[in-house]
Amino acid sequence: MERVKIIRYSPWLVHFNTGACNGCDIEVLASITPHYDPERFGVRLAPSVRHGDVLVVTGVVTKKAAERLKRLYEQMPEPKFVVAVGACALTGGVFQGSYPVVGGADKVVKVDVYVPGCPPRPEAILEGIIKLLKKLEGGDGDESKPG
Amino acid sequence: MFELVEATHLIEIPLTVEIPVGPQHPALHEPLLLKLHADGERVIKVDVITGYNHRGIEKFAEKNTFYRDIFIVGRVCGICNAVHANCYVRALEYILDVDPPPRAKYLRVLAMELERIHSHMLILAVNAELAGYETLFMYLMKDREYVMKAKEILTGQRVLADYMMVGGVRRDVDEVKKSRILDIVQRVEGRVRYYHSVFREDATINKRLRDTGRIKQVDALANSLVGPVVRGSGVKTDARAHDKYDAYNEIPFNVITEDYGDSYARAMVRFGELYESINMVKYILTHLPQGNPVPDERKLPRRFPEGESYATVEAPRGELTYYVSSSGSDKPYRVKIRTPSLNNIVNSTFAYVDQMIADVPIILGSFDPCISCMERAVITDLRRGVKYQIPLKVLGGVKK
Amino acid sequence: MTATSQSLVDSLKEYVIKSYTMKPNRVVIEVEASKVREVFVKLAEVLGKESFYLSTIEGTDFPEKKLIRIDYFINLFKLDTNLVLRAYLPRENPIIPSVIDLVPGALAGELETHDLLGIIFEGNTYLRRSFFVPEDISSKGIYPLRKDSGV
Repeated sequence: MERVKIIRYSPWLVHFNTGACNGCDIEVLASITPHYDPERFGVRLAPSVRHGDVLVVTGVVTKKAAERLKRLYEQMPEPKFVVAVGACALTGGVFQGSYPVVGGADKVVKVDVYVPGCPPRPEAILEGIIKLLKKLEGGDGDESKPG
Repeated sequence: MFELVEATHLIEIPLTVEIPVGPQHPALHEPLLLKLHADGERVIKVDVITGYNHRGIEKFAEKNTFYRDIFIVGRVCGICNAVHANCYVRALEYILDVDPPPRAKYLRVLAMELERIHSHMLILAVNAELAGYETLFMYLMKDREYVMKAKEILTGQRVLADYMMVGGVRRDVDEVKKSRILDIVQRVEGRVRYYHSVFREDATINKRLRDTGRIKQVDALANSLVGPVVRGSGVKTDARAHDKYDAYNEIPFNVITEDYGDSYARAMVRFGELYESINMVKYILTHLPQGNPVPDERKLPRRFPEGESYATVEAPRGELTYYVSSSGSDKPYRVKIRTPSLNNIVNSTFAYVDQMIADVPIILGSFDPCISCMERAVITDLRRGVKYQIPLKVLGGVKK
Repeated sequence: MTATSQSLVDSLKEYVIKSYTMKPNRVVIEVEASKVREVFVKLAEVLGKESFYLSTIEGTDFPEKKLIRIDYFINLFKLDTNLVLRAYLPRENPIIPSVIDLVPGALAGELETHDLLGIIFEGNTYLRRSFFVPEDISSKGIYPLRKDSGV
């Protein structure tokens, strides 16, 4: 797993809203503020999608936004990972079955970490990203187990 | 008057706009695409392209029961979810001719005013960031976290309150919670005074916000703009003062207006409303009536009588309206949500014309769309036929 | 109705087919679809342009009556009243003259109602399908909010 050592120390996030109520988005925004101090993990928002390592997806994926999500994912350079935040990005949330909704980010891109909640707390979002890093180190993301 | 010139550049700015109803609104909750036709630095024409955030909520609401819709409707907009749920619940109460107890009315106003405080602090922080002042953004967001804590003490959740129910609210407060919320609000008041002085005195903010996006009073009304946008142009209209729903007929407050109509005036209206909301919260916590605000949900009717009602509420972004019609079953026949951002964003394209391109993000930020993810702008140089992308902040003149 | 609402209905009485109250206290006036523009002109004359604004446009489908109903919710904020202009259109051919030259703020509501219900606002050149609704539904000519749309 040589290539993942590059991002393990400082993953830059790209945030994309595929049709959310903005609840998860303001919690993602709150998680990059000093109160939760994400920079101690090296986590910060990337200035451009070409600099991003981790794509944070929120929102029930609407049909119009699904195409843009796919294009955004293809524009990110390898190695890249996807974190789906919020019940809507997991399965469509309360909007499952509505006509313009695809429902769930994993129908469009490959998702590595799922963070459930409506919306999840900023601490939970950061924990999801840390679990992703631990998984890449060779562990299985469970910090309670030693090693 | 302008002379007719040929556009040389086409700039497409994709944004996400929630509509609480849309707040969200139903107001368009969409990520929005603003196509600016520009000649050099000057904007000539603006097109609006939407649809990215359309979740079909009005159709979806007809397939679920009235009570499930309370929770669906709260998720139209996460930032102003309490006002959405409140407006829908009041529309149901009008159909049923139910009047909630006074303590429930006061608690509802408490939840909505706390939401107004956090929403205004958020958009003022975003305004500062768009003007290039990222440190002020971080400071404001840190102090906003105390308000989120107060919301969590009152309703049990930081963002999505899920607090309203037909006939009252879903949980009560005790003395310990009341004193904790009061402490938080008193601390936040001192910080808001400090930020108000920063906005008034700082050179960057004054240079960027003054004289951009000036809207005259007659244009604001003719284009159905609502909320701090129209109050910043001198129109004294506020759904809390006209409809006097819940406890607003007993709690004293003022409607804040400014006359000049530019982005700075809209920011000052929001600061004025912050002080009013803080005073309202302090009044509610010291004058809360006794009683049981939680209704017995088992006694609520499953089928609603035939009827229709129209409820309005003053969301942080403007007037939010719900029309609910029942045909006698357990599901609504029609739910219509008109969020303030729908009117404010789709109808306001005239405010960008003849402004500099770098001012467009500032003007958009002062309209307070529910923007969570400001994306990149795509610029097409029409003469050379070349496309390139730049971040929205760089469009706004902020050097990275 | 209160005194001000009653005098409002009286000043518009040449257009009123029926008038009643919508809960909690909104004044509803049913008018002919072709007369909606004249009502807006009359309101501006009687009340002045700076004392009201068009708040919402809403459409409802009634397939068993073969009608589509359109409501214009007007906020007369200086009188603390909300007025509802109600008109019925035939379901097979729902056409109504647009009001965006009189009230530019109607643009958002007309675009939305056209895309979701299929009402045609004559004179509005900005109308197009797929303003909100995704392509795969609008390309089949389906209007989602109609009761027989099947979505």
